Amino acid sequence: MMEKRVKRSDEPIWWALFSAGGVCFAVFVPAAILFIALLIPLGLLPAETLDFERSRGLLFSFPGLIFIGVVICLPLFHAMHRIRHGLHDLKLGRDKTNKVIAYGAAIVFSLLALLGFVLGIM
Amino acid sequence: MAKHVGYFPELKRNWWLKNRYFTLYMVREATVLPLVFFIACLLAGLYSLLQGQQSFQGWLQFMQNPITIVINLLALVASLFHAATFFTLFPRVMPLRVGGKAIPAKWIILGQWFGVLLVMVLFAWVFGRGV
Amino acid sequence: MTTKRLSIQRYLPEQSKTPFWQEFEVPFDDSTSILEALNHIKEDMDGSLSYRWSCRMAICGSCGVMVNGEPKLGCKSFLREYPGTISIEPLAHFPVQKDLIIDMEIFLEHLAAVQPYLINDSQDSNQTHKQTPAQLAKYLTFSDCINCGLCYSACPQFGLNPEFLGPAALTLAHRYNLDSRDQGKAQRMVQLNREEGVWTCTFVGYCSEVCPKSVDPAAAVNQGKVESAKDLLINLFKR
Repeated sequence: MMEKRVKRSDEPIWWALFSAGGVCFAVFVPAAILFIALLIPLGLLPAETLDFERSRGLLFSFPGLIFIGVVICLPLFHAMHRIRHGLHDLKLGRDKTNKVIAYGAAIVFSLLALLGFVLGIM
Repeated sequence: MAKHVGYFPELKRNWWLKNRYFTLYMVREATVLPLVFFIACLLAGLYSLLQGQQSFQGWLQFMQNPITIVINLLALVASLFHAATFFTLFPRVMPLRVGGKAIPAKWIILGQWFGVLLVMVLFAWVFGRGV
Repeated sequence: MTTKRLSIQRYLPEQSKTPFWQEFEVPFDDSTSILEALNHIKEDMDGSLSYRWSCRMAICGSCGVMVNGEPKLGCKSFLREYPGTISIEPLAHFPVQKDLIIDMEIFLEHLAAVQPYLINDSQDSNQTHKQTPAQLAKYLTFSDCINCGLCYSACPQFGLNPEFLGPAALTLAHRYNLDSRDQGKAQRMVQLNREEGVWTCTFVGYCSEVCPKSVDPAAAVNQGKVESAKDLLINLFKR
């Protein structure tokens, strides 16, 4: 009876990414939403704050790479982990399939963000 | 082994609506939905920057759309709610000790909120520089 | 004397395959517990009502029931706390054998799986194990479990998948892993590392809310996740 139960789970990898993403979602994302998605579009900051040249300069730099990591990639893994477990909580789909799709999406879109960054600095 | 001769009702998929605590848990889990929208906005913005001035203007217009603003406002509220839950869970998952004495959870929670504030100031400095 | 209405879920497998609700009007005062109300019903109103109980003082852990949908010890909840009709059901997420009596077999299996006892094969094991107050403090809060099973009824992940080892078993595993006298961590980690070990938990946290002994099983399970993650890392570098 014991033997069939002793398979080690690969969940620590996803949980570590989920936790790191959770910290980023809590610490970095609020400021990012406030400035990029609210204050600037609402015109509460001068228009030059986020003009084309300035935005390129900010994003395609070393701090920009860190920004992509802590506001896009890690929060993506956090979000996809919760969506996967949320689907299980709602008894939707098969967990094995949901897992591949959720983490697969997190990997693909993270790579897409990094590819965009590489194209930007070239 | 157990001989399950009795009555064993299956847990229905709406179990989280039957208890306030479970509903709040589901709200916590759902905070990632507006987050995904915001991340999609950022990815679109990144690629619009690669495509040129015009494309970027189009992205700015999309960000100014009232529906976009409302969802992103929801994302901000969600991120702060997530922060409130995450910060209280953290000292329970990783109780920190200094010199054999446990740091009170209250301090760890306050420290994390200080981090949020610090990042806000950092963003204000980065965006405000030379404008 | 004032009375209160109790609505109790009855299940009599010899009579019907489905449970039904039965109401009782019970006299009570400020000191009447749910368990005492059940005793009153059994003695004076309907002797066929079945439920478990023993100590009446929140130590034996046998009188757990759902009171208005929340897992509670019958002896530690009082009629005065509830306005209106009180609904009493058997503990959730377990098969019901009769009335308020659940089949705890799966819980006991999960407990046994994590070997919740000191494992120490050292030569001087016939000597008294010494432990400093600081070493004791590391696991003390997690050692108050009375195996009542309320945390399993509070855990939707156990409800969705009964193979999940669950809050109490994982907390006891963590309690012995933290004990300076114990050497059984490697054996227990095998169980914790499984998908149905610590990794089924999503930190709903309700287990810690309902625990009558304030053990905080949710904290123990999630500290177990940190341990399991470390265990994976160590395992990778060993090879």
